[in-house]
Amino acid sequence: MKFSSIKTMPKNVVRDTLKSIERNNLMSAASILSVIAALIILGIFLILTINVSELTKDVESRLELKVFLQSDYTDAQKLTVQQALEDSDMIESVTFESSQEALDKFSASLDQYSSLLSGYNSQNNPMPASFIIHVKDPNDLEAVQTLAMTFKDKGVEYVKYGEEYVQVLVNFSNFTNTLSLVVLVVLSIISIFIIYNTIKLTVFARRREIGIMKYVGATNNYIRSPFILEGTLLGLIGAIVAFLVIRIAYYYVLGLLSGSSFLPVGTTLASPDLVMGKLIYFFLIYGGLIGALGSIFAIRKFLDV
Amino acid sequence: MIEFKNVTKSYEKNKSDALKNVSLFIDKGEFVFLVGRSGAGKSTFIKLLLREIEPTQGSIFINNYNIANLSKREIPFLRRKMGIVFQDFRLLENKSVFENVAYAMEIIGKSEKQIRKRVPLALDMVGLSHRINHYPHELSGGEQQRVVIARAIINNPTILICDEPTGNLDPETSYEIISILEEINRRGTTIVVVTHDREIVDVMKKRVLTLEDGALTVDDAIGRYGYEV
Repeated sequence: MKFSSIKTMPKNVVRDTLKSIERNNLMSAASILSVIAALIILGIFLILTINVSELTKDVESRLELKVFLQSDYTDAQKLTVQQALEDSDMIESVTFESSQEALDKFSASLDQYSSLLSGYNSQNNPMPASFIIHVKDPNDLEAVQTLAMTFKDKGVEYVKYGEEYVQVLVNFSNFTNTLSLVVLVVLSIISIFIIYNTIKLTVFARRREIGIMKYVGATNNYIRSPFILEGTLLGLIGAIVAFLVIRIAYYYVLGLLSGSSFLPVGTTLASPDLVMGKLIYFFLIYGGLIGALGSIFAIRKFLDV
Repeated sequence: MIEFKNVTKSYEKNKSDALKNVSLFIDKGEFVFLVGRSGAGKSTFIKLLLREIEPTQGSIFINNYNIANLSKREIPFLRRKMGIVFQDFRLLENKSVFENVAYAMEIIGKSEKQIRKRVPLALDMVGLSHRINHYPHELSGGEQQRVVIARAIINNPTILICDEPTGNLDPETSYEIISILEEINRRGTTIVVVTHDREIVDVMKKRVLTLEDGALTVDDAIGRYGYEV
């Protein structure tokens, strides 16, 4: 009995739902607009979060740790240190840079001013030799530093990586994550409330019908489903429109920025494919979910007959 | 089959009971009138049958099933065994006669094929075949009530409960409605008619239960309108 009622349900339900959205067109439009507004604001924050986290990841992956050797290191010391570093499974790669290479690199980086260094040669080279280390996981930077420091005065002079730079980025990333979460919660409550009110109007307009349905023996799920479908549909429509708006805006901003020197050299906004791919799933799930939730709250008290 | 065993219902603690220790038995296939003044407990009786409310004390059996033990999820399935006819019809204004009756079948998941077959039969039984595509506002009161009866019997309930079915109708139409109910009763459906309509009760010579101030005072096998106004 129960199963056969599920079988024929969708057709009636879809019919009743579409009629209802049409009948309440003004309130339906208001609900959709509120979802759009909420999702656009949310979208902006999400894009910010995604960009910051991508930037952090990017910077972290480019981070290198430099183990500077003492100026009077011996070949034996150099080998021991290199062996220890290469044996560690935290380390992606170890490259040796002799003091001559370091000087050449520095000189090259000075470009037209390289003549400043012309007084230096292999005899009085002030640049120390070093190992340049890339780690697999940026979180291990400190551990690798500790490992390298065990060879202090046994060939190693000091170890250096951009601690402070990383810390600032990580902090900022955490901050944007938290901020997005707060915005998410606040806007969700507002959107659910607006959808709740729309569906309540629908439910109220059809309360006679609901009463009759209950007397003829309709189950609560049967009565509920068109309202939930209606709310979900409003949420989904809002999500799709908001997504399109955000997408157009993102490409526009990207176009503006690519020609300007606003962004730090070497960085750009996260690729649109990545951002939009994440966003569309989130929007659809979120839109549908708040629509359904608002409806469930709205119909609850009308079901007791 | 309907059985009340020492049923008491009180809505609020301080007020007097709406139903006082009522016991009664209505067998399968009976035709019973339930009469009484306003406030005598008739509505409470119907609400208890529909499990809209629960008795404060006592138990109610429908088809040997104690409905006091029913969970909320089971209530719809209880109501599918009963047809209900209201004084104020309760038809859906935006649906045609056919759709109003079909609705009761859609809700319990009958196929479109079954619906197309059974709805005209039910409408034929209440004499409304010629109105099948009309809307409620185009029908007279008596015709609307026939649609309600068709909707109530479309799923073959074992019990048909009628709450003042002739309350809004003129005497002639009332007789037509009652004779339709009698016809349905002849096919084996138990019928309980709650009414104020003294003439009909007296003419029909069916069993009459009389409620007074919540108590069952008269139970006549071939009854007349029980209490004097």
